[in-house]
Amino acid sequence: MDSYRVAFVSGGILLASLSVRADEPKPTPENTIHVQLAAPVPPQRFAKAPKFFVSEVIDRSGNAQPMLVLRDRGGVFLDRQPTQIAREAIEQSLKSAGLLAADAASADLELQIYLFHFGLAQGSGLDFFGKVEFSVMVKNAKKEESQQIEAKGTSIANAAIRKKNIQKNVQANIEGALEDAVRNLVRGTQLREAVGSLMKDSPTAPAVAPGGDLAVLIWGRAQRQEVRVEIGEEVKKCVY
Amino acid sequence: MRLLTAVLLTTLMAAPGAAAKDPEASYRTVEAKHFTRVEGVELSPAFTDYLYAELRNELGKTKLFVQVIGEGEAVEDPDAANSVVIEGVITEYKKGNRAADAIIGFGAGMRSLKMDVNVTRRSDHQDLGAIKSHVKISPRWNEEVMAKAAAHQIAHEVKNALKEKAKG
Repeated sequence: MDSYRVAFVSGGILLASLSVRADEPKPTPENTIHVQLAAPVPPQRFAKAPKFFVSEVIDRSGNAQPMLVLRDRGGVFLDRQPTQIAREAIEQSLKSAGLLAADAASADLELQIYLFHFGLAQGSGLDFFGKVEFSVMVKNAKKEESQQIEAKGTSIANAAIRKKNIQKNVQANIEGALEDAVRNLVRGTQLREAVGSLMKDSPTAPAVAPGGDLAVLIWGRAQRQEVRVEIGEEVKKCVY
Repeated sequence: MRLLTAVLLTTLMAAPGAAAKDPEASYRTVEAKHFTRVEGVELSPAFTDYLYAELRNELGKTKLFVQVIGEGEAVEDPDAANSVVIEGVITEYKKGNRAADAIIGFGAGMRSLKMDVNVTRRSDHQDLGAIKSHVKISPRWNEEVMAKAAAHQIAHEVKNALKEKAKG
């Protein structure tokens, strides 16, 4: 009698799990969208234009299904991984201004991208809220220095009732958020400051003695741990 | 007679469109920053993000700005004098009371949000307007709906403040 009861319960669980699996949306050509930048985002002008190389794009969203952007109404899927879409968008924008290096060896700065969010986020329910968020580690391999910057893009699109319109609005929304995030990165003051500090060959900040009697000019290289001191015509060199 | 009717109909159809025509954009860029919050305001971290997104969306709808830029984006020097920055602080949030809203009504138990918003010119940080915004919605609605209402109100008040400033 007990074995019948166990078999009945386990059968019920199996049926329930099968019905849940049946609700899980699956990617098909009809519910898959192609997300890309409509046009490359023109980056800001740098005093000395560096060459960037996108070394890697790492997904840090913790999303088990990164290509599933909307679960309702049969689901909406991306045709590529978000990391690939983000990489293409950034490279396309940098290339348009001639700031993209062919390989890591010829690059002045390497960009390592950590993708925190790509797709839709929780909105009011009256519209679609698209969000793309990543942080970028800007590295100068020659100086072995790096700086982290953040970029975020948002977009809000109207909700829709028809499935075709939902797909169209979701696609436009994610593309808008992606463009916004790329613009936030390539036109951001954070990138300008990072490039400024990482591309600086030798700091030449003049320092004035607090007393005002002696004007001391100090400059040096952090790598060599070497400081050169000028007091009037006398030059002293300190090596650590 | 037919011709007169046709002309009259055309005029009637065209007149509201001409009257409702939006003013031309008078500022190059507007930058909305993420709103900060004073201690004790208990809102989810996602709320600030959503408010920021909605505010940018609503500012775009005012047609007062050529471009709504993201936080921390660089602006060319010639455009800086004709660009504005919007910063704000969430000073108070009351999550409301569903029972009071359902039983008493008349505004009792409403969810409310108070914000202080500053509009400044980008180039010289000149104050272009200080706005105190207060939004009330039913406690049955979620935080995001409140953010939407708040963003709509702020954008409307920013538009009014800048128009007043332009008039002198």
